[in-house]
Amino acid sequence: MSEIVTAGIDIGSGCVKSVLFKVDGERVEWLARETARIRNRDPFQLADEAFGHMLKNSGVDRDQVAYVASTGDAENLKFATGHFYSMTTHGRGAVYLNPEARAVLDIGALNGRAIKVDASGKVLAYKMTSQCASGSGQFLENIARYLGIAQDEIGSLSQKADNPEKVSSICAVLAETDVINMVSRGITASNILKGIHVSMAVRLAKLLKSIGATEGVVQVTGGLALDTGLIAALNEAAEQEKVNLVATAHPESIHAGAIGAALWGAFRHQKLQRLAQAA
Amino acid sequence: MTSTAEIIDRCQALFEDLNFSAARAWKAAAPGRKVIGFLPVYAPLEMIHAAGCLPLGIFGGGDQMEVIHGDAYYQSYICRIPRSTIELGVTGRLDFVDGMIFPFVCDVIRNLSGIWKMMFPNVWSKFFDTPQNFDPEIGGNYYIHELQELRAGLETLTGRKITDDDLRRSIALYNENRRLVREVYAFRAREPWKAPTSEVYLLMRAGLMMDVAEHNRMLADYLVAAAASDRPQRDNVRVAVYGSFCEQPPLNLIKSIEMAGCYVVEDDYALVNRFLTADVPTDGDPVQALALAYLGQSVETSCKYVPKEEDKGRFHVEQVRKAGAEGVIYATPSFCDPALLDRPMICGRLKEANIPHIAFKYAENSGQMQPIREQAGTFADSIKLWS
Repeated sequence: MSEIVTAGIDIGSGCVKSVLFKVDGERVEWLARETARIRNRDPFQLADEAFGHMLKNSGVDRDQVAYVASTGDAENLKFATGHFYSMTTHGRGAVYLNPEARAVLDIGALNGRAIKVDASGKVLAYKMTSQCASGSGQFLENIARYLGIAQDEIGSLSQKADNPEKVSSICAVLAETDVINMVSRGITASNILKGIHVSMAVRLAKLLKSIGATEGVVQVTGGLALDTGLIAALNEAAEQEKVNLVATAHPESIHAGAIGAALWGAFRHQKLQRLAQAA
Repeated sequence: MTSTAEIIDRCQALFEDLNFSAARAWKAAAPGRKVIGFLPVYAPLEMIHAAGCLPLGIFGGGDQMEVIHGDAYYQSYICRIPRSTIELGVTGRLDFVDGMIFPFVCDVIRNLSGIWKMMFPNVWSKFFDTPQNFDPEIGGNYYIHELQELRAGLETLTGRKITDDDLRRSIALYNENRRLVREVYAFRAREPWKAPTSEVYLLMRAGLMMDVAEHNRMLADYLVAAAASDRPQRDNVRVAVYGSFCEQPPLNLIKSIEMAGCYVVEDDYALVNRFLTADVPTDGDPVQALALAYLGQSVETSCKYVPKEEDKGRFHVEQVRKAGAEGVIYATPSFCDPALLDRPMICGRLKEANIPHIAFKYAENSGQMQPIREQAGTFADSIKLWS
């Protein structure tokens, strides 16, 4: 099998994540990665710039890229060869980051997805959280801002909690009201954050259960994967829900969608070549 | 050369105009002109044209019209097209229409024709009951009578005789229309990235609101412009969409399916101009020719009875193969009895033929496209990667 270069570009609601790989059969070599916060900018422009940076930094010509795969909200990305949906790409990306993973929790800025996968990253089942944003990164980001806490402090503070305060797990509006009441009652930031993490984790554990993911490794991907407080709460929630699941994350988890897109792009490119040869 | 964008902009303006200004202008351009509205799925437009009238497709109110009065006439478990058609009537948007034809689709549309007669007693209207028996001696003779009744009704309305020669001339124009429509569909199946379905759909809908000769010119112009266009090909899957023959999906739904990574290479949207699959002979008895074409050379759709159970869905499988589609999206309006009752049989036939398929429901005013995009998108992914 010949060596090919593929790119994965994942436009999320908060960030644009891009990766560039050299793929030769099972061997995958990272050539470049980029992450850009959108912050009211045009995500397609950001994706275009990121792709250009990756090519320049890795010394690859545009013509050498066999497949540019988009994912997330990047359906209209003009220079993409093809688009894959987030369940498909996060499933594949998670298995790449942790080959033992048989379930994935993709927790992004606006919603969360539970995905059951096989050893190749093929999606067996999936379910999304409802439209309510209380199980999302944006909600957690808002709360951190109200509490005057930097985002990278959330995980460690949550793990220092000694008496987590229960938060409404149904509605973001009610949950925000809950938090305001807690602040006025003098509840510590640690206990508030832990309460939010527990609330999100219980919902996500139930989501996993609903798709039949009840044992093995759950790889957490998306923007909240590096929130250690949430990972800890997920493992506690798994125990509470009586499922034998272990939640883990990887330093590159934020890129899981882009990774999966690039890898499926390579797979698809080879499949199309085989089909063309057979025709 | 007119660009595809210019052609489609005009089609979109016609599609969005629920006051039907172009049809009003056509009527006002010469004294005595009459406009005849018709509903899905099939009406013999040749007969309306031969009567000197403009056939005007009334395909519901779409997603831009609020239905207030229409809801009072139907139970909550009835589809939306009869409600929005009543809304169009009650709000005066069809006050220039001189006659209405309600072809057989289902009991709801049959009852709509009765409601229309009561609501607008001064407007000529006809329930056009197409045959469900395909023996020329039985269904054929019945249908010839039905066509003659339509002819007589139009003659009374216009005060003008429809001669056989008038009808033959109209059949020839519509044969040309069908030929061009087939050519657009074949072009789309060959190079779907150059003729997106969101464009082809508007092109076809616009044709149901203008004179056929004008539409023929438009189709020919589109074919030239689309062939010359420089649009990049993407790694999308080729799908057929079935189940959308009566109440039409919102344009955004059609766009969402394409956006989700699908090239639609075959569909049953607004079927009327593709209902007859071959030219209707222009020699001999034109009424008999129209009747025989309906019996022997027309598409299979849910409002047509299929006498042999083993034949049910065979047409769809053949069309899928002919168009080179890799999968089928069976998208039906909510509460559409014909499409939903057929769904298990047609999807069963697709399954037997190993054709991947999914199904979902919509209404003409559906607004939430995210679930549709995800469903169509993951379906496309599964075909691309695992089929």
